[in-house]
Amino acid sequence: MTAHLSRRSLLGMAGLGAGAMLLGGCGGDDDGGSGGTQTIDWWHIQNTEPMLPVWAAMAKEYQDAHAGVTVEIQPLENEAFKAKLTTATQAGSPPDLFQSWGGGVLAQQVQAGLVKDITDDVAPWIGSLLPLAMQPYTVEGRIYGVPFDLGMIGFWYNTAHFERAGIGSPPATWAQLLDAVGKLKSAGIVPIALAGKDKWPGHYYWSYLAMRVGGLSVLQQALEQKNFDTPDLVAAGQRFKELIDLQPFQKGFLGAEYGSPDGQAATMGNGGAAMELMGQWAPSVQASSSTSKQGIGDKLGFFPFPTVDGGKGTVTEVFGGGNGFAVGRDAPPATLDFLKTLLDVANQRRAAATGAVLPTVKDAADSIKDATGKTVAATLAGATGFQLYLDQAYPPALGQQVNDSVAELVAGAKTPEEVVKDLTAVAKSQ
Amino acid sequence: MVAIHQTVRPAAPPARGRRRRRVRPATVAAFLAPALALFLLLVVTPILVAAYASAFKWNGFGVPSDFVGWDNFTRAFADPTFRGDLWRAFVLVALSLLVQLPAALGLAMLLNQPLRGRAVYRLLFFAPYVLSEVTTAVLFTLVFSPNRGLGDTLSRLLGAEAGAVFADPDTVLLAVFLVVSWKYFGLHMVLFLAARQGIPRELTEAATTDGATAWQTFRHVTLPLLGPTIRISVFLSVIGTIQLFDMVWVLTGGGPIHASETMAVTMYQFGFRRFEVGYASAISIVMFALSFAFALVYQRVVMRRDTEGAVTTRGVQG
Amino acid sequence: MIRRAVLHLLCLAVGAVIVVPVGFGVLGGFKDNGQLSTNPLGLPDPWVPGNYTGILASGVFWRQLANSTLIALATAAVVVGAAALAAFVFARFAFRGREALFTLFAAGLMFPFAVAILPLFILLRAMGLLDNPLGVILPQAAFGLPVTIIILRQFFRTIPAEVEEAATLDGCQPFGFFWRILLPMARPAIATVSVLAIVTSWNNFMLPLVVFTDQSWWTLPVGVQAFQGQYADDTARVLAYVVLSMVPALAFYAVAERQLVGGLAGGVKG
Repeated sequence: MTAHLSRRSLLGMAGLGAGAMLLGGCGGDDDGGSGGTQTIDWWHIQNTEPMLPVWAAMAKEYQDAHAGVTVEIQPLENEAFKAKLTTATQAGSPPDLFQSWGGGVLAQQVQAGLVKDITDDVAPWIGSLLPLAMQPYTVEGRIYGVPFDLGMIGFWYNTAHFERAGIGSPPATWAQLLDAVGKLKSAGIVPIALAGKDKWPGHYYWSYLAMRVGGLSVLQQALEQKNFDTPDLVAAGQRFKELIDLQPFQKGFLGAEYGSPDGQAATMGNGGAAMELMGQWAPSVQASSSTSKQGIGDKLGFFPFPTVDGGKGTVTEVFGGGNGFAVGRDAPPATLDFLKTLLDVANQRRAAATGAVLPTVKDAADSIKDATGKTVAATLAGATGFQLYLDQAYPPALGQQVNDSVAELVAGAKTPEEVVKDLTAVAKSQ
Repeated sequence: MVAIHQTVRPAAPPARGRRRRRVRPATVAAFLAPALALFLLLVVTPILVAAYASAFKWNGFGVPSDFVGWDNFTRAFADPTFRGDLWRAFVLVALSLLVQLPAALGLAMLLNQPLRGRAVYRLLFFAPYVLSEVTTAVLFTLVFSPNRGLGDTLSRLLGAEAGAVFADPDTVLLAVFLVVSWKYFGLHMVLFLAARQGIPRELTEAATTDGATAWQTFRHVTLPLLGPTIRISVFLSVIGTIQLFDMVWVLTGGGPIHASETMAVTMYQFGFRRFEVGYASAISIVMFALSFAFALVYQRVVMRRDTEGAVTTRGVQG
Repeated sequence: MIRRAVLHLLCLAVGAVIVVPVGFGVLGGFKDNGQLSTNPLGLPDPWVPGNYTGILASGVFWRQLANSTLIALATAAVVVGAAALAAFVFARFAFRGREALFTLFAAGLMFPFAVAILPLFILLRAMGLLDNPLGVILPQAAFGLPVTIIILRQFFRTIPAEVEEAATLDGCQPFGFFWRILLPMARPAIATVSVLAIVTSWNNFMLPLVVFTDQSWWTLPVGVQAFQGQYADDTARVLAYVVLSMVPALAFYAVAERQLVGGLAGGVKG
């Protein structure tokens, strides 16, 4: 006599599992309790000094001032945040208030109905923010998030190295930049530090060149028309290739990360390279990765991305991004009031004073302490146009493809023509 | 007494009649129930969901609605990166079987000898397995740091230009393999050690008394008795290599330019970064199918001997 | 004897290959990031004990350690228990559908965990297991079943039939044989799979990350994030942290190792 498992019991167990799943799929979120107590689930990515305690203090102050409201903070590291948010949103339970970079990812969340349309709620106070900053968080004219931090990408350079190489003033045109690279190489200095492994630093070059060659809206247009195979974008790639062919990057750059001890920021901070194209956080990361703990100190300078001769873009058009908060669809009403508090002038001044945030509220700009922060803020204030980082502005699949394609261009594995064809293919499949 | 030139084989299973146990179906079901319940609910259900999703174009939000049938699969096999992944999987499996497993076996035998400090060595050799992937990757990026002494020398030994072993598309896969081996050989070593412990001393002693050299004893007595464990180790190694993700992800992210990318890395990129969950699910189904096909063939061909006898009798009849 | 010396040399050489990277890690914890960038592989200068002492002094580390330990031990108990029961019938009895069921379990090995995470999350949420250690323990155990069953079945097979027959003749029920005779004999195997289960659980990052929003339940791998910022990691602290995290796992292995070796080595005379 042999034993066999009842098929019925097997099916039964599988059915239980499937049933539980379906149940879960219909489930919504449970907070925003009844009777006046509200809990705000807040996920942010400033999980280290200096902003971690600042956010915590602001939350506590709000709780103390508003009985019946609890703020549950979950500080997460960048990558962990993305992973956790993805799972939560895809499962239909977004947190109440969470980090957002705006752009295509936010648009996707809007389309899936996971974030609140807060246009009407923020209308009374949104005017205190820089209009440029609101762009990435506006989808089809409606606002879904509010930025608290705004920055831009530009060239950070070592003035001492430039002097040694005989470069009089920072390059204002692309041709002058290539020339400067040549001079630096002759002087035995590594011209540019680049984190090849991380890919996103490389896409800054291509994106800026696209803007300089084709004008501010060229990248947005390419997305809308689902076509990147235009002469302007091919030309942008070709300009970049000119730089790559000069071999201006540090040794082992294809395996270098941005923030690791032997990465791009550390190379700059220790004086190992003359320039890097990076965002407003660059000076502080250079300093913390460097041996001296102060980076290159007062030898650090900043110049905006050069223009391209014959191109349609101007130097006041800016490529960058920031940080903001989006509101989850099931968020309790207190969330919007809390958000307003976080963005009021006093709190923005506090954030700006830490040096980790460049405030979006116009009046808070006077609290920026360090010189480099002030430079960036001033440049931003004078900006005539803004383009968000492509790996955020575009839908995720396309944004990743930009990073991948530019990395292939940098490694010499693809030509500028092939790059735009690959991008077009992904854009069309969206 | 066993003649040395005969390879030791487990004795043939006793006659059929003796093997059928009288056992109540309820007993079997009771023994299986906990594992089965856990497994069906928490493993099979998610897998079925992923299988379902692989036929759709889906970004993970809401419910899959854009049915594309086999498209995701044809797309995968047409994609040069994915094809490269298949090739790299093959290379890594070959390297594992030819390098990693024999080394683990050798070390297990080594540690079975009466050596002073043997326990310390055992602990040491297993240590890498205990580390997390992130830890290992952090350590090895440190070791292979460009421009610095040791990293420089090591990289040159591997054929890359100075310090660039993870940055050079030609050497990165080999470097990844070495790091993976460093971490995982301890697992196989422990399996072999435990199996070796199960071999009665009388057998090996008998062989030595008969005048066999250490190598002969190993080749004709130990190795065959370790056979089942070796076969399991190979199985786990191949399946594990096909699934390789964490280490590659943290060490190189699959780069530079996909030179160290594995199927699992591609799947993660598309699923979690590009939000093309349907396509990623299709890739995972391909990984599953490959592993499963290998397992079926392996069971039939290689492990037949092990499957035949549910119980082996020890003791050799001359 | 020459042979002994050669063996020792071999062991030392392999040992060096193992220890050196770990040694760099340990030393790295005594540096700061600046030193790591200019002097990654040398001795720290000056020694910065602050990384290690800071972590050891923080209550957060010890709580995460406790969480990791609890979850790892519970996972091991569940998976080894369930797997041993199943492997027992797979190894010792013939029944219809046995090989098919075994293959079903083995198939669980062949599926990448990352793909299962979204459906798993939905399931856990439906069962109310989020922010609950069971939400990590049960899935980990479930995914650990394939390897554990495969290994245990192999070992259970090697117990000679005579032992079982003797027990049955003495009036022993299957479960009694399982509990009182088979398990003790299979101690090396049980120790092995327990160690595997504990180590896998110890290093699991994704599952605790998505299941636990309440930070007081965070395990060690998730806790390392505290040293990783948006743009840069505090690598020196990360190194100190990961070195400290591996000590308990290694300690457990050291203890279990005695079982691995000390189990019944000899067979039973036929």
